[in-house]
Amino acid sequence: MCSKWCFCVLAATAVSAQTPNGHIDIPKDAPVSMVSVDWGGSRATARGSAYLVDVHASLTLLNSSQKHIRGVTLEVLAQEVTPGGRGAVKVPSLDVAPRDVFSVHIDETLLRPLGGGATPIVEVRLDGILFDDLTFYGPDKLNSQREMTVWEMEARRDRKYFRTLLESAGRDGLQKAMLASLTRQSETPRTGMLQVVRGRATNVDPEREVQFAFLRMADEPIEPAAGMARVAANEAWAPRFEVRNISKRPVRHVEIGWIVKDQNGNQFLAASLPADLNLAPGQDARVFPDAAIKFPDRISIQSMSGFVSSVQFGDGSYWIPSRSSMEEPELRDVASPSPEEQRLARIYQKKGMDALIQELKKF
Amino acid sequence: MIRHAKETDLALFASGDASPWRSLCLRLHLGRCLQCREVAEAYRADREWLKEESSRMPPGVDWEHLAAEMTANIRVGLEAGECVAPRRRRRAGPRFRSRRMRLQLSFGWAAAAAAAGMMLLIGAALWLNFPPADKEVLGRAMSQLFHGRGIMESEESGPMVEASDSGIVLRGNGGSLKISQGELRPVAVSVSAQGSASARYVDDDTGQMTITSVYVQ
Repeated sequence: MCSKWCFCVLAATAVSAQTPNGHIDIPKDAPVSMVSVDWGGSRATARGSAYLVDVHASLTLLNSSQKHIRGVTLEVLAQEVTPGGRGAVKVPSLDVAPRDVFSVHIDETLLRPLGGGATPIVEVRLDGILFDDLTFYGPDKLNSQREMTVWEMEARRDRKYFRTLLESAGRDGLQKAMLASLTRQSETPRTGMLQVVRGRATNVDPEREVQFAFLRMADEPIEPAAGMARVAANEAWAPRFEVRNISKRPVRHVEIGWIVKDQNGNQFLAASLPADLNLAPGQDARVFPDAAIKFPDRISIQSMSGFVSSVQFGDGSYWIPSRSSMEEPELRDVASPSPEEQRLARIYQKKGMDALIQELKKF
Repeated sequence: MIRHAKETDLALFASGDASPWRSLCLRLHLGRCLQCREVAEAYRADREWLKEESSRMPPGVDWEHLAAEMTANIRVGLEAGECVAPRRRRRAGPRFRSRRMRLQLSFGWAAAAAAAGMMLLIGAALWLNFPPADKEVLGRAMSQLFHGRGIMESEESGPMVEASDSGIVLRGNGGSLKISQGELRPVAVSVSAQGSASARYVDDDTGQMTITSVYVQ
């Protein structure tokens, strides 16, 4: 009797969990080519009317171009339309020389509706590659060019800062800076949970208009003004603000960091508000990002502020805040460090000062 | 000069409410004080008049007829109450104490207890076998009910991404989808108002930064 039960359980498990069919889509003219792929550990489990697809794959790619690769974005797709059917894996801060191989690990959980075939399919597509001269290759469906370029510029800014510190203040100075960065990262206020909602939640609390107080930076090309959002208890939605192009170049895109202060005076970087613009020098524009954020119930939103976190000009070049602007107390304690600073701090924490100095000298 | 008694003492004496010793003293005083005797007599006369007036029915009122009408109204009320909730009437009646009813009642309680036990067992079995994500959704719904808020009050109008220290969760249609990189904890999570959330992971061996994103749409 017991063996029959065991057989049934094993049979049910075998039926419900399958290995998904994996497919890698890298164009023939791409500057990378696939060396190998390992789908080990990937599985699809039927749950309700959908497959829950756990993708655990390791791709080994070859840089077949003549330039150094700085970043890669891969789109991971189980189903294009269903929420949860699409994800992305982005690897910034790379330094892959021509003819070198490098690995990208994919760990994603996606949804795919049942009935799309006997075996669920997972597709991995190349969305973009960023080179060391900031040129880009790829379909850029996920706006990865802008994201990876900003990360690369932040990485250059921060690497330069730490290298200069090493030259001017020596190992002790660099060590102090790393310890300060690690402390800041651990002490950055966390909300515990933050939800980004498409459309507003039906909150019954009374709502009110709250104005943004913008943090200004000395060299910013965009002047934000007159921003406000609707707020009810722990929820904020419908942000809108006016921006003026105070630079001499047309602006194509701006990203605003949205900071929220709660009833205890804690400040959180709630979300980024990206907006596409077509703004000539001296022109104003009103921006209405479709956004709603919700904090845990224990948080009551008291006030809000914002800062310009990046700007893309019409010629494709970018502006990011300087290191000294990011060191201002209002931003330093709230904004996340760049991915590169977090990576360098982690190397120092896990491997020590020598490994960090070696890493800083690489490029 | 005769010292007169207090009016309050005279009023108590007239109604017979003064203490025995005080009554004796006042009686002796009234025997030789005409003024106080007249006041006490006035109190007694007023008392008699009030007693007589209060015992008389208002003109045109027939007490017998009024009593019959009130009794009839009470009976009508009781019968109407029985029509609305006949079981309550029966349980309150004398037959409730009969042996048969006691048996029925004890059997009812036993059946209810057995059903409650069964429900508890089935509930525990379902809870233990629920997928963790469904368990979380149910728990949140129960919590909302417990805190006096309807589920609809906090139900979101569409799918949403949720970022926390442990990673990213995509919620929608009553289900949730957690994105994680095994045992690795994200060094940072961020959300974009365009409807995406990202978590940054650093591989301790290679030092490689990997950023995983999910999209609401």
